[in-house]
Amino acid sequence: MANRKRTKTSSSIRRKDTRTAYAFISPWIIGFVCFTLFPIIFMFRVSLTNRKLNGVSEFSGMQNYVNMFKSGIFWNSIWVTLFFTIVMVIVTTIWAVIMALLLNQKQKLNGIFQFCYFLPSVIPSVALAYAFRTIFGKEAGLFNAFLSIFAGKNVAVNWLYDHATVYMVVFFITLFTYNTGQMMLIFRSGLSDVPMELYEACELDGAGAAKKFFSVTLPMISPLVLFNAVNGCVSALNGSFALLYPLTGESGNPDGMTQVLSLLIYKEAFSNMKVGYSCALSVVLFLIAALFGALLFGLSQKLVYYEN
Amino acid sequence: MKSAKTKKRVSQLWLYLLKTIVAVIMFLPIIWIATGGFKTLTEFTTSSRIIPQNFTLENFTYIFRSSNIFLYVRNTVLLMLGTTIGTLFSSSLVAYPLARMEFKGKNLIFSIIIATMMIPNIALIIPQYIMFGKIGWLDSLLPMIIPAFFAYPYNVFLFRQYFRSIPKELDESATIDGCSRVQIFFKVLVPLSKPTYATIAVLSCVFWWNELTQPVFYINSDEWRTLTMALMTSYMYTSGNAFVINWPSIMAAATLMILPPMLLYFFGNRFLVGGIKTTGLKG
Repeated sequence: MANRKRTKTSSSIRRKDTRTAYAFISPWIIGFVCFTLFPIIFMFRVSLTNRKLNGVSEFSGMQNYVNMFKSGIFWNSIWVTLFFTIVMVIVTTIWAVIMALLLNQKQKLNGIFQFCYFLPSVIPSVALAYAFRTIFGKEAGLFNAFLSIFAGKNVAVNWLYDHATVYMVVFFITLFTYNTGQMMLIFRSGLSDVPMELYEACELDGAGAAKKFFSVTLPMISPLVLFNAVNGCVSALNGSFALLYPLTGESGNPDGMTQVLSLLIYKEAFSNMKVGYSCALSVVLFLIAALFGALLFGLSQKLVYYEN
Repeated sequence: MKSAKTKKRVSQLWLYLLKTIVAVIMFLPIIWIATGGFKTLTEFTTSSRIIPQNFTLENFTYIFRSSNIFLYVRNTVLLMLGTTIGTLFSSSLVAYPLARMEFKGKNLIFSIIIATMMIPNIALIIPQYIMFGKIGWLDSLLPMIIPAFFAYPYNVFLFRQYFRSIPKELDESATIDGCSRVQIFFKVLVPLSKPTYATIAVLSCVFWWNELTQPVFYINSDEWRTLTMALMTSYMYTSGNAFVINWPSIMAAATLMILPPMLLYFFGNRFLVGGIKTTGLKG
């Protein structure tokens, strides 16, 4: 009797729980439907029209996609997006590991060093972009002046507009983004979790610093490196606009060399007023992100424990 | 013995040197911005010295007197407060059953939340732009503030992780005391999670203080411009045929924009640095 009563209450509790749970979750459900699911469906629909910025729209079938695949600007942008994303992730990951390694060597003044290493990542990307536009500017640029001291003559390179140097400078600037600072902090805690005994054992074998890094440190933090690298791909896709738009403009100067897909989407929608075409580009960006996302999801299932 | 000691000292010195070089590289743009604000336009465009030769405050007086900086600050603060309050409230509500209750469809909902974390904002911004245009929200802060009240997947995920680390026994003893699920949330979990709320609030504020992409898409008029947008558009003018960018004014405005995150580093380090670390480790 008592037993039966308990089963009854527990199942009614569970039913009540389900109701309460959905009441709590309802904000997300509404938000997901209105601000994610609907825009996704709407994006596919608009991509099949020749919608203009003023709202005039006519069904045009696959015309946008046909134009897109024929467009050299589009293929350039795809190439730039993949190139930018992958190189940025590699460069920033290496730099974050270097900074974390340096900071993990316990010394005095480490607090000041961490402050200097970390602060650039939490300031607005616009401010950084404008600082670097002038630092790497042709006239009165700090970097040209610095090189002039060593060259013994006046160096006047327009770093951000020169085909040969633009990528170097842009990737250098990505070292100052939020992603780098975040990775540095993560690697710092990852590095301090590496057991000291492993280093001591290595020292007994007479290994040098480089040997220690490659045979102990790197294998120990490799899951973190891998996870952050793929995570960085998603944030690079999303964050490239805020860095590159103030840095090289919507056309991705020089000659579209830095025109990632997000810049092209913006330009097509707001300068060329072709919203339909811009939606077709968004579909492509969405699919690229889905690809990276699936990769990250697969990795996180393997490497990161969501369940305690 | 003595030589081993000297050797160690030398390697320490090398390490200091290396650390200093990296620090100079990383901090140089900030110094460049901060000193640039005190240069005249002529000096900024003709000389590459870091220290201002003709120290001037004209850029700061220009910013405060002749540009709508107070308006931009107001907009940015409104945006920050609106989105942060919205996401703290809604995301923690949504996270609660995901962390604490058993119900049908829980796994499916959680998987969708994880999946939407991977969609970059920028991929959906054009359809959202059209949508917000139809409801007449464009050129206001609403397209950014209203969605915050319907839970950001990322923050839901963080809240869930934190809620799970609070012992379940507390819920159970509250149930025995006659608390309902709703009461447990407000009387047990929320008071215990104050540091979590502070962390997510700090991260949200930093994000929206720095955010450029969404305002650039949604906002057109000067009236709703945020500081980041103003930095890009408000300090340039045409004089005759020439297009002049008022670099030192931009640098002065940027200096002011760097101050809040910097102060946060000093006074809210636990939430800022600690928060960023955990989001990366678990997200």
